[in-house]
Amino acid sequence: MKLYSRMLVGGALAAAVGLSAIAAHAQAETYPTRTITMIVPFAAGGPTDVISRIVTGHMAQTLGQTIVIENVVGAGGTTASARAARAANDGYTLITGHMGTHAASVPLYPSLAYHPQKDFEPVSLLAGTPILILARKDFPPKDLKEFVTYVKANVEKVNAAHAGVGSVSHVSCQLLNSILDIKPTGVPFNGTGPAMNALVGGQVDYMCDQIVNAVPQINGGTIKAYAIATPERNPSLPGVPTTAEAGLPAFQAQAWNAIFAPKGTPAPIIAKLNAAAVKALDDEGVRKRLLDLGSVIPAAGQRTPEALAALVKGEIEKWTPVLKPATN
Amino acid sequence: MADLFSNLGLGFSVVFQFVSWSPSWLGGFAIPIPVNILLCLLGALVGTLVGVLPGIGTIATVAMLLPITFGLPPIGALIMLAGIYYGAQYGGSTTSILVNIPGEAGSVVTTLDGFQMAKQGRAGPALAIAAIGSFFAGCVATVLIAVLGAPLTKLALAFGPAEYFSLMVLGLIFAVVLAKGSILKAIAMIVFGLLLSMVGSDIETGASRMAFNIPELADGLGFATVAMGVFGFAEIIRNLDAGAEMDRQLVQEKVTGLMPTKKDMIDSAPAIARGTILGSILGILPGGGAVIASFAAYTLEKKVSKNPSRFGRGAIEGVAAPESANNAAAQTSFIPLLTLGIPPNAVMALMVGAMTIHGIVPGPQVMQKQPELVWGMIASMWVGNLMLIIINLPMVGIWVRLLRVPYRLLFPSIVVFCAIGIYSLNNAPTDVMLAGAFGLVGYWLIKHDFEPAPLLLGMVLGPLMEENLRRALLISRGDWSVFVTRPLSAALMAVAAALLVLAVLPALRKKRDEVFVESEN
Amino acid sequence: MSDTPSHRPVESMLPKWVRGPQDFVGGVALIAIALFALWASSDLQGTRGFSFGAGTAPRMFAFLLLGLGIAVMLVGVLTEGAHLATYAWRGPLFVSLGILSFALTIRPLGLVISAFASFLISALGTPETRWKETIIVGICLTAGCSLLFPYALGLPLQLFPRFLLQ
Repeated sequence: MKLYSRMLVGGALAAAVGLSAIAAHAQAETYPTRTITMIVPFAAGGPTDVISRIVTGHMAQTLGQTIVIENVVGAGGTTASARAARAANDGYTLITGHMGTHAASVPLYPSLAYHPQKDFEPVSLLAGTPILILARKDFPPKDLKEFVTYVKANVEKVNAAHAGVGSVSHVSCQLLNSILDIKPTGVPFNGTGPAMNALVGGQVDYMCDQIVNAVPQINGGTIKAYAIATPERNPSLPGVPTTAEAGLPAFQAQAWNAIFAPKGTPAPIIAKLNAAAVKALDDEGVRKRLLDLGSVIPAAGQRTPEALAALVKGEIEKWTPVLKPATN
Repeated sequence: MADLFSNLGLGFSVVFQFVSWSPSWLGGFAIPIPVNILLCLLGALVGTLVGVLPGIGTIATVAMLLPITFGLPPIGALIMLAGIYYGAQYGGSTTSILVNIPGEAGSVVTTLDGFQMAKQGRAGPALAIAAIGSFFAGCVATVLIAVLGAPLTKLALAFGPAEYFSLMVLGLIFAVVLAKGSILKAIAMIVFGLLLSMVGSDIETGASRMAFNIPELADGLGFATVAMGVFGFAEIIRNLDAGAEMDRQLVQEKVTGLMPTKKDMIDSAPAIARGTILGSILGILPGGGAVIASFAAYTLEKKVSKNPSRFGRGAIEGVAAPESANNAAAQTSFIPLLTLGIPPNAVMALMVGAMTIHGIVPGPQVMQKQPELVWGMIASMWVGNLMLIIINLPMVGIWVRLLRVPYRLLFPSIVVFCAIGIYSLNNAPTDVMLAGAFGLVGYWLIKHDFEPAPLLLGMVLGPLMEENLRRALLISRGDWSVFVTRPLSAALMAVAAALLVLAVLPALRKKRDEVFVESEN
Repeated sequence: MSDTPSHRPVESMLPKWVRGPQDFVGGVALIAIALFALWASSDLQGTRGFSFGAGTAPRMFAFLLLGLGIAVMLVGVLTEGAHLATYAWRGPLFVSLGILSFALTIRPLGLVISAFASFLISALGTPETRWKETIIVGICLTAGCSLLFPYALGLPLQLFPRFLLQ
């Protein structure tokens, strides 16, 4: 890792001619000298918040400075992201962005006050949360194949719950619906809790949701899961097939979380942060806590800033056609 | 029954766990320390102190203090959080009574009679009865959770969007009955509140509504922002009016006993009992039940009272009933979390977050898989309530003394605390400005004899009502009859209709009563 | 409800047939709010099939408020009622300025300056203020808040001006 960061420092020096770059370099040498603020665009206790706290707790040890979590909620996380985009690019303000704020928001909010690619420097991917196709326990279809035929045949009757426009459950369900080429009635709720309550209570038929919220309910038999939208089965739900195994390989979705810095943050600082994040993801304790949540930890090759930039680009391309018509 | 005792026994054994501490300077002598009890006490104390800061309600307090529990073992952390929760809940009532600032929806009603009592020099009894009522309600609700938790869960699940809509309609009717002045103006205020609650983004399409492209309005007006404005700031501005010095002087000189008199206790006892029952039932319903609990209790008291005109003028039942109800509801709102693992409100969602950080993912099996956690928490609720009364009864004297601080020093302090409180909720300066603007609106409302309480209730109920109506109609495919064909919903609608008749009838005769009241003064 | 002698009614600028000026003006203001809300929600989609549109509920409530405003206004015309109360200017002005100054300075200047300034400006709201005592209390309060919020509660509040930190 050290070699890697040296390489980056070298690269930055070679590219920089002006005095400012040297100043930035000097600043980067000593970075961090004070508390770092990590903006989390969702409320404390949510999946993104939990993942951020677990990883930044370890990063703070590596960097030798405290990392304060600032939860800024609002407008599906876009309020927080807009604020982070405008923050000083000195490495002391970072944000944990996720699938919604740094990809799906582009087609969802036409007047978005920032652009995930143009206004941010990617730092590192942290963890992904797989998405499941869930249904109330007495919903007739037995497996995913039956589900597909049933939903297509009864599209006038079925209800799909989601946790509000722009939420992970909303956008992933839109993806599923567009793959199945159906438009069922979407019933919006205020957050995953109430949506899950309605599913357990049998008020609605199906929904797509993150694994964290669903595992205990599936194990408790209050709802059922048809498939998990990742390439591999998840250790916390070994009995649930992947979408590929169950016959719907096109449906792949993960709620990923990643660290971003405001555009123009010096490359050496990005490298230091990335190194700290990578070190955290390799730590046994951190890994165990993330895996307990059902999260997927990115492989070594997916943790570089470049890989994250590519992920953001790919995700924006993936979500744009799915979500564009929904806003009109 | 035997099960219940063994379960509660397990719970209390967790709470009363002793850890022996043998520091070297004692030379091998070990002191047993009741860690969990201390954590509960600490949580309740910190929760009260933070909750008492104007502008910081229960959710904000719990969110703020959540990180300090991360370093603790899971059970200790949750017990401490439960302490924080009750403490914050109680702290919110304290500001309602002392300075007319409700920390959250549940304590709006407490301001009506609580602040009037404080103005009459009876802040002490008001605070004490709130603590006593809360303690009683807490004890009853703890037993209820232990005995009936699992079966009551079914009620929570039977409530679909149609039932919630009917419940909200009922809630609106309660809000009308609260009014002490003109019913027409109270209804106008509720509707104004409903209209304010429409600001933000549409739940179904995400379209921005009346937000004028102000990012801070994208999610609507915050309860704390508006409450701080129309109650807190407006009250301060009004107190600065020329001629108001006299009133304030009186308040400071009149302070009499700190504890409720025998008559107060006799008056409040039935109110506390009724409030507890109502609160316990409504608290179970996730998504809005607990909000309605306190004003349902107030309405009930006003309706059963022989002399309803005392309400809004410092009736002790008007403090005892809603305070008991909101504490009972705060407690029973744990039921869906403990039996289903589903957080019914924002505070509970934070609790779930805390659990997941500690590696506990709550779900329907949490009772079987982690009985020591669930029963430990239930036992800690009771201990938490006990702590509250131990902390708060002696503190009543301190709070009341606060009222003796000269107003010229007190009011700028309240302004600063409120400003910091509102700012810290979202780190948004715009929120502070909005609260200031609502302060002026509130001042204007006072001058035109409009009551701010129905406005706030309308604001809280508005989104719940609209969203559930739309959900219900989406699920029924536009069939409005669901509200009367589903039995639970129909029953709620019937109660609402009956209450409306009860509320309107006396209003028609009211003019005559009013004359009597005025001539008495 | 009633006029106390200390609140001398403002010389009414309203015509004679307005018998309850307080309600009349209150009603007119509600009507204005309702009309404003109708205008502000006019761009929102209405009902579509069985599903409510974004604009349905706001417009419904706005119309309701319009009706209630008219009713309150009529009450003001038809029944004898309270006069307009007098407004003070000093309290509202300085308390608002205090709040506004806090909102504008908290981010650039930090908590210490912002809270202290806001305290002093608000204190101008009453002629009873005694400056020596106010300044001492203000300093104590600011110090207390600076310890309480960022340290004891761990809130991400900045204490000092941003330019001093860099």
